[in-house]
Amino acid sequence: MVSTITQQTVSDLLKANGYIADEAIATAVFLAIRMEKPILIEGPPGVGKTGLAKALSGALDFPMVRLQCYEGIDEGKALYDWEYGKQLLYTQLLRTQLDNYLSVSADLREAVERLSSEESLFFSKNFLVQRPILRSFLSEKRSLLLIDEIDRSDDEFEALLLECLSDFQVSIPELGVITANRKPLVILTSNGTRMISDALRRRCLYLYIGYPELEREVAIVRAKFPELCEVLARQMVEFLNKARELNLRKSPSVSEALDWAQVLSIMKANQLTPEVVAKTVGVIAKHQTDLQKITDLAVQELAS
Amino acid sequence: MERIVTRFVATLRENGIRVSPGESLDAVQALGTCGMQSRRKSRTLLRLTLVKNVNDFPTFNEVFNSFFSRYQFVDPEDDLPALLDAVILEMDGEFTYLNEVRDDHDDEQGPLIKIDSEINPEDLAELKSLTEIDPDDTDGTELQVQMKGYREKAKKPPRPTRRYTQNPLVIELGKGNSYESSITFTTEEQAAMQEVVSRMMLRLRKDMKRMKNNQNRGKLHVIRTIQKNYRHDMVPFQVIMRRKRRDKPRLVVLCDVSFSVSHASKFMLLLLHTLHNQLLDVRSFIYNRDLAEITEMLANMPVNDLMKSIDTGDIIDLDENSSFGEVFLKFKNNHLENLRGRPAFIILGDGRNNYGEANDWVLDEIREKSRYMLWLTPEDRETWSRGDCLMDIYGSYCDKVEVVKSVDDLSLVVEDLLRDIYADQAHPIDRKLLREAKAAEAKSYDSSDYYRRGTNNDSEPVFDPDGRKHW
Repeated sequence: MVSTITQQTVSDLLKANGYIADEAIATAVFLAIRMEKPILIEGPPGVGKTGLAKALSGALDFPMVRLQCYEGIDEGKALYDWEYGKQLLYTQLLRTQLDNYLSVSADLREAVERLSSEESLFFSKNFLVQRPILRSFLSEKRSLLLIDEIDRSDDEFEALLLECLSDFQVSIPELGVITANRKPLVILTSNGTRMISDALRRRCLYLYIGYPELEREVAIVRAKFPELCEVLARQMVEFLNKARELNLRKSPSVSEALDWAQVLSIMKANQLTPEVVAKTVGVIAKHQTDLQKITDLAVQELAS
Repeated sequence: MERIVTRFVATLRENGIRVSPGESLDAVQALGTCGMQSRRKSRTLLRLTLVKNVNDFPTFNEVFNSFFSRYQFVDPEDDLPALLDAVILEMDGEFTYLNEVRDDHDDEQGPLIKIDSEINPEDLAELKSLTEIDPDDTDGTELQVQMKGYREKAKKPPRPTRRYTQNPLVIELGKGNSYESSITFTTEEQAAMQEVVSRMMLRLRKDMKRMKNNQNRGKLHVIRTIQKNYRHDMVPFQVIMRRKRRDKPRLVVLCDVSFSVSHASKFMLLLLHTLHNQLLDVRSFIYNRDLAEITEMLANMPVNDLMKSIDTGDIIDLDENSSFGEVFLKFKNNHLENLRGRPAFIILGDGRNNYGEANDWVLDEIREKSRYMLWLTPEDRETWSRGDCLMDIYGSYCDKVEVVKSVDDLSLVVEDLLRDIYADQAHPIDRKLLREAKAAEAKSYDSSDYYRRGTNNDSEPVFDPDGRKHW
């Protein structure tokens, strides 16, 4: 299926999954699939960075493996870990077997040699806990690895990702290098709270998703809430576009637009009036000062 | 095609975008995979693969438009027909089908490369002059026009009070920095600022990270230690400590915005607020005779708007003479009570009180509440005792008084300050390490006495092998 994909089918597939992509997004996705390169997506919160990954996973039928980054995340949480408990339990359970096995040896030196020849038993894939990155590498089907909000992690973690992202392999000292069965489609998202290092950027395609154009946003709203009438959707999006110019502390983004559309459709509103906005302002404004500004804007813009 | 991409990448590099060879390979591969259908599409492809920072997008667009325009190779001095021939030979067949593409809505109309043997140099020159007449077409020039407007405004005659520069060193300060006539910051200046700060951050990060890690150490975290040492049969080889709550260092800045030091003040404000949220918790005040807090405004307003409203005197009246005594009194009455967490205190001003009440006892109270007090003045030490300057009195309350004349001085001072603040909060072990590092730095090779080294008072210099060790 993947081999037959073209740029047109990418945006059609995404549309079927409720994601309206513009040309840049479709091209980036197409390239990432073909060139097997990660995509780094930046943009303000709520414009559908994570949403793109979700829609893609549905559209391409790639199982999604998600890794949420946070400060202090390390390889034990992202790549792999040893299952100490299980190892300990197994040595306890196998004690008698071990005794028998080792009793053959004449002296201590030989016993140690015998044991160490079996060492790989204890550091085998049996005892390896697969964390998201390794799991997606070893998955039977080609998977989609979403590394979410990479800017929240530390520099060290970024450096850790370099090997995984450029060669699709994980080095485990006890086992050697594990290469990916099927190279996953990797999507990294960032809100830009911290500069990502150039080394990481270099390994990715870079996609910036800003606020969508009017037409596309209307299409997004309409796709999610078909019961909302075209006129209201357009009016809503136009109003939000004006609100974005207000220099608010948290500008309403696409996710807020969708929430608002849902609220309006529940309220069965058919036109935007200052009263309607005042009632539902909590959906689009997330700070007290913004609340006031948006209600003022509504009175100013929608009064007539 | 590879050659064109390589040349395009070279042009991007000339314009300050860092592109690695790997990325240009990607670009070639991407163009191969997707094919070149339209100018717009190709631009998207190149941008996806070559540019990895959203701030570089405008530069990229500009370079793309100028690189893939029809008169790119025209240089009046060159032998045009020969050059054109060479170019045509080189590109022959590669882009000819692109000539029809016209229906895109980009900043500049036209195909990727249109080279037509019918066009002669005169035509090209004519085309070039055409665009020169109409500079408002592209974003870049529009912005320039706007900036020019600001500059004009900045150049208008000074108000009556500004007609006399308050001290001769104003001129000195003006010479030192490049913001002489600009009231607002251009995008380039802001970008330069970002760069200064990010370089500074890099230098500071290493030290601070280590200190932070140590700072976070608290008491033993029993449960996590047991969990972690499960593998060692509960023998605590690895010890996990509880994390302490981490405080961002607090900073309070008082900036004089009267004409004499306003350039330095504005730079200072911008600098500290670029650092704000990353490392620091900054509260900023501006003063003249009046005092106003602008922390919120700096956080929420575009910098240029704020600078303009400071300049027009909307926030505090600029026509007044500055009065340190009054400002300190106001600060004590309104703000001193809610100074939390022992902030470091920075005052930027020339200490010229216009013969008002000194009120220096307030500084003593501020000192009690702050961990560190720093005064930055643009004037040299020799002039402190002249005229109405109270620098000697005020200075005696401060931990440090620095003479700052240029932007570079200022950024150095701030960097030092940050180090000091962090060192102050640091773990004793770190403080010791830091002191040692500083001492080592001071001891490091000093070439000023090179010619005198190895001589005994007045004997002839002898060859000194140690003196060259550092080479």
